[in-house]
Amino acid sequence: MIKLENISFDHCIKCTVCTVYCPVARVTHLYPGPKQSGPDTERLRIKSPELLDISLKYCSNCKRCEIACPSDVKIADIIQSAKWKYSKRSLKLSRIRDFLLSRTDLMGGVATWFSPIVNFFTGLGIVKFFLNTFLKIPKQRRFPKYAQGTFERWFKKNSNEQQGYDKKVLYFHGCYVNYNYHQQGKDVITVMNALGYGVEMTDEKCCGVPMIANGFLKKATKNAKFNIKSLGKAVSNSEKRIIASSSSCALAMKHEYPNLLELDNSPIADRVDYITRFIFDEFEKGNIPEMAPVNLRAAYHSPCHLERMGGVMYTIEVLRKIPGLDLKLLHSECCGISGTYGFKSEYYTIAQDVGNELFDRIDAVKPEIVVTDCETCKWQIEMSTSYEVTHPISLLAKAIRGANKSGD
Amino acid sequence: MNYDCIIIGGGISGLTAGIKCVHEGLSCAIISSGMSALHFSSGSIDMLGYTDDGDVVYEPHKYIDEFIDSHKNHPYAKCGRDIVAESLQFFQEQVANRNVQFFHNNSSNHFHVTALGTLKPTYLSQRSVFNEKVRNGFASKPSIAIINFEGFRDFHPELAASNLKKNQLFNDFEIFARTIQLSEFNNTDKNPHEFRSIDIARILEKDKNIERIASQVKEAAGNALFAGIPALLGIHDSERVHRKLEELTGLIIYEIPTLPPSILGMRIDDALKTIFADEGGVFIAGDKVISGEIDNNTLTHIHTENYGKSQLSAQHYILSTGSFFSGGMVSEFDSIHEPVFGLQLDYPKGRSNWYSQNFFDRKSHPFLHYGVDTDNNLRPRDKNGETIQNLYCTGAILANYDPIREGSGGGVAISTAYFAARQIIEKCKE
Repeated sequence: MIKLENISFDHCIKCTVCTVYCPVARVTHLYPGPKQSGPDTERLRIKSPELLDISLKYCSNCKRCEIACPSDVKIADIIQSAKWKYSKRSLKLSRIRDFLLSRTDLMGGVATWFSPIVNFFTGLGIVKFFLNTFLKIPKQRRFPKYAQGTFERWFKKNSNEQQGYDKKVLYFHGCYVNYNYHQQGKDVITVMNALGYGVEMTDEKCCGVPMIANGFLKKATKNAKFNIKSLGKAVSNSEKRIIASSSSCALAMKHEYPNLLELDNSPIADRVDYITRFIFDEFEKGNIPEMAPVNLRAAYHSPCHLERMGGVMYTIEVLRKIPGLDLKLLHSECCGISGTYGFKSEYYTIAQDVGNELFDRIDAVKPEIVVTDCETCKWQIEMSTSYEVTHPISLLAKAIRGANKSGD
Repeated sequence: MNYDCIIIGGGISGLTAGIKCVHEGLSCAIISSGMSALHFSSGSIDMLGYTDDGDVVYEPHKYIDEFIDSHKNHPYAKCGRDIVAESLQFFQEQVANRNVQFFHNNSSNHFHVTALGTLKPTYLSQRSVFNEKVRNGFASKPSIAIINFEGFRDFHPELAASNLKKNQLFNDFEIFARTIQLSEFNNTDKNPHEFRSIDIARILEKDKNIERIASQVKEAAGNALFAGIPALLGIHDSERVHRKLEELTGLIIYEIPTLPPSILGMRIDDALKTIFADEGGVFIAGDKVISGEIDNNTLTHIHTENYGKSQLSAQHYILSTGSFFSGGMVSEFDSIHEPVFGLQLDYPKGRSNWYSQNFFDRKSHPFLHYGVDTDNNLRPRDKNGETIQNLYCTGAILANYDPIREGSGGGVAISTAYFAARQIIEKCKE
């Protein structure tokens, strides 16, 4: 049966504008574009699932089609759910890879115990060769380094002074901060403290984005339910807001939970935000901490998922408040990696071809640093260009620490 | 978030207003839900193409005085003839900096050829549609080849050729249709693309393909001087592709607009958006303004789907959300409304009065001139009939003009945008 509330594919007027803005269709003829993969074939799939088109798998779920659509069709959601609803799972080695790539909690939990060894091995040519041969992970791909221990553990030891603040925020750190890069979490604390907020954390699991992208919808739903319950409970008796420093985590909790996983996220829906929006609101109230100039020429790249959420404006306005920062806005382009997409051999070339346009534009700006909100964009840009990439919060923290130093 | 100006709607009108504002140093954001009607347009800019009797207007700059006199409520009458002329000049100069050259026929109209092979009067066209060479070449009654790419289903050269031949201007011309094959199409079973305009445009804009395609075009064109091809010569660098193709073939290459997505229109979209962003404008794509708070005849802030409760505010606002197709107006079974602010619209009761029986009626359809009525400064009235002091309406959402019957769509979009922007700039500088 067709669910009547879910027939947005019927609003498609076949104008093909989405396909114009699809970064994957731009670089490969193997993908027919979102119009055909989404609304066109959805009606056929509903009738008979064997009409599933294998080209669906090329969709990287960047969601640029939804931004482009003049008729408000949820094209990427249609494709994502079709991809997994109708496809038969075959047991291939690449499914093991997909499992490993999508279980960021599992992999991170183990790797952070042995991070020097893991980092050493993932950098070795021979290991890359085996990953490439057996797991179809491209040998050119550089792996993010794992941190020693988790951010959660660090926070437990160092969170005492957070009690001293009257106002609090609940921080959803996400897997990247927890397992790979603690400094970003520390930067969040610096910024929040400077704004007069103490930081709290509660039990959280991976937001589910990599599982959705790899077709583990059941596991994604389980994690989503856990997060809604855990975060919801932590804020239920207060006005506390929830902030995420990863744009894709925020998108998942706000949009993917209700739209794609069809879960009731009302306990957190109005509370959770990507962090720059929270900071922007404070800035608007006049709560602007003292900042020392950060004299850098910075190129800002807006991640696809932040665009879809409508959060880019906040990041830009927050960055503009940093004194001395020479901010250049890059034309909105997909970097190509789309989470785990660029970690798979069969899509590696597509991912790099998609990203080339962005890399050229970065070169044209000749920045001293590239700024972006998304960790996978960061990996992609750092691997594919010679530029260092940082998070907006880290720049802000730098400016705040600079001011504290000069004030001492 | 507080701007000098927030523009709701990122089509040709919103972008033109935005560019004028940021040009003068105003802080400005455009909120746009989905891509604009430029993606469905001919890519030429009409100013005034027809009189009320349906006769072709040849000199719009002269005719406009008489037109304004007899159409006191028309957006052109509110802007005034000078603003109309100045705005079109401004638009032309702006996009020229971004590799989209527009030409007019010494300030007169010219005809452009439609996908069906009919002629439409228009004021500004891109180089590949109208320039000196096209005009002079036409005078020598050249033979014309209309060429399509096999597999491209959104253009039919035989139809275009035979309709064109029926036109008295082309009666004694030799016009013939040809089709050429792109080798990219050979592996169709491997290639699931549908070969819409964008797919072919991507093939044509690649340097490595141009020589091969040029020789195919040349061969197909035979003894013709003109080759009319569907408008697929790329988006970002079409001038260079067009020049190269002319150089290599020795022909005059003429682009004919296709069914959407319109490559000609997307060139304008791309140019305008790039200019706006380069000059510091904030373009928010994929979000929808759902309501606004009006207090004491002043719009204080607006709400959007994505930003929710967070307040977006500005000193001044422009509503350029377009007509029915773009969602600027919504028609129910027996009523029409403006969805953002609930502005007053003027239309007769009874759905059957809204349209003509004949789809191609030369007098057009009545619904095309429904829209928001404004004061002489383009400011609309709220539900209580009070003028909203800091909101301006521009482009297709305006009432009292008919883009099809008058041939005035592009001109109204650009001139009202420019007029509103100028008023806002003046007030911000006070």
